[in-house]
Amino acid sequence: MFISDRMCRELITAGPDLTIGEARALMTEKGIRHLPVVDGDGKLLGIVSDRDLRDAMPSTLLKKADYEQTLARISGHPISEIMTGNPQTIYPYYTIQDCLLIIQKKKVGALPVVDDNGRLQGILSTRDLLKAFVNVMNIDEPGTLLCIVVEEQRGQLKKIVDIITEERISLGSVLVSRHWDTEKRAIFPYLLTNNVINVKKRLLEVGFKLIDPMQWHLEQLPKR
Amino acid sequence: MKRTGFVYDDCYLRHDTGGYHPECPERLSATIKWLESSGLLPQLARLPAVRADQRWIEAVHNIHYIIRFEEACNFGLSEFEHPDNAICRETYEVAYYAVGGVLQALTAVMAGEVDNAFCAVRPPGHHAEVDKPMGFCYFNNVAIGARYLQQKHGVGRVAIIDFDVHHGNGTQHIFDQDPTVFYYSIHEHPSFAYPGTGREFEKGSGPGQGYTVNSPVLPGRGDEDYRRLMTQDMVPAVKRFDPEFIIVSAGFDAHVSDMMSGVNLSTDGYDFITEMLVNLAERCCGGRMVSVLEGGYNLDVLPLLIENHLKIMAGLR
Repeated sequence: MFISDRMCRELITAGPDLTIGEARALMTEKGIRHLPVVDGDGKLLGIVSDRDLRDAMPSTLLKKADYEQTLARISGHPISEIMTGNPQTIYPYYTIQDCLLIIQKKKVGALPVVDDNGRLQGILSTRDLLKAFVNVMNIDEPGTLLCIVVEEQRGQLKKIVDIITEERISLGSVLVSRHWDTEKRAIFPYLLTNNVINVKKRLLEVGFKLIDPMQWHLEQLPKR
Repeated sequence: MKRTGFVYDDCYLRHDTGGYHPECPERLSATIKWLESSGLLPQLARLPAVRADQRWIEAVHNIHYIIRFEEACNFGLSEFEHPDNAICRETYEVAYYAVGGVLQALTAVMAGEVDNAFCAVRPPGHHAEVDKPMGFCYFNNVAIGARYLQQKHGVGRVAIIDFDVHHGNGTQHIFDQDPTVFYYSIHEHPSFAYPGTGREFEKGSGPGQGYTVNSPVLPGRGDEDYRRLMTQDMVPAVKRFDPEFIIVSAGFDAHVSDMMSGVNLSTDGYDFITEMLVNLAERCCGGRMVSVLEGGYNLDVLPLLIENHLKIMAGLR
């Protein structure tokens, strides 16, 4: 799950001298929220977000004449004055997991991807990450979610996967949650089938407990 | 009492799914046995299953898909494009008779020979897409039926109401952009159940915007939610659409005892649904309704649920 397969490579970039007015028009036209700023060699200098632009705009509470006058004054400034210089960057060999943690920690909406020489290679937005997770969980394919509670001990997942395999069912994804009960775990296999009767029966036969997914309600989770 | 047509033919048992598959011939053989012993069968107008003309199947499905299906069966494959879709050499033929049975029922209702009808057919149909088999389904029986009504009998607006516990993705997608066919489905929530579609925000697109309505039901819920959702979401939408004919995708797998789903509909809950549909057909389109079997896998309750469904349709309860 390296981001090189997931990042956007069709880049819309700007030089540092582009004006705020031009940047605003460009981002609206292209429907983007992040505009990487690069020098003539394609080296990343900074990034302008729609938030940076909005911060630079005059207040909408100003009188119309005032607003337009101020806007005209602001629009001519280069974006280098409002961009986030030296932004958090990532490399193409970073993983999706790395990016999830970075985005969560740094509270940014997109991460520019650079090579070892600092040249811009792509950009990864939270939307790209969401798309990657829809894909990893396989939830865009038809299937059925099982909810199984197991005792916390070695080899439980193997037994479940063995049964699924013996039933010739293709596995879309498996989520495991430890936040269930101190001695228990909840396992959620997403099966790419409509045919779940036999597999359910076999899981019950070997003593697993299938739970009503609605018991898996956040309020009932132990707070940790 | 109403004249209720009943489509069944022993040929439907010849779609052999291999002995370890929930969509098995016993679903129908157990049902027929039950209906015979309960004495209901003689009170229904038996309608023969005939082989559908391929042109009606082509009104919905891609010709290349139809040929692929035929080849898979002729070749003796045991599955068709996914392990869910078990087939045998005869499946292709049987599927024609399933469609044909539905068309026969529609014709009988249109001709006024019967007031309404139920089709105890297999293989089921509502997951079948234009060019893809899914979830035990090959030809989309109800979708073909809707096109047949429009093209053969000049019916303008057809409503398809689907209470199988799974969302009828095939039917929804076929009519996604079509304002002349209204599709309503109530089913287990797609985050938990196959096929993962049928969320509330799926409402049709283009000219068909607003002509699809979905009511997902969370696992563990049952009668109360069905009652509320069908009253709130279905009834007003169908009345507004004002159909000239109602086709029902009748799945009995939402029953509490059916292990195919996590929804807990009771036997009474099913009665309520049928009553609601019969009343709706009465109000909108002179009672013209054809109900077509989709899912329902607990052999101990499926026959009873079908019997109740039929009795309410025939006005015997």
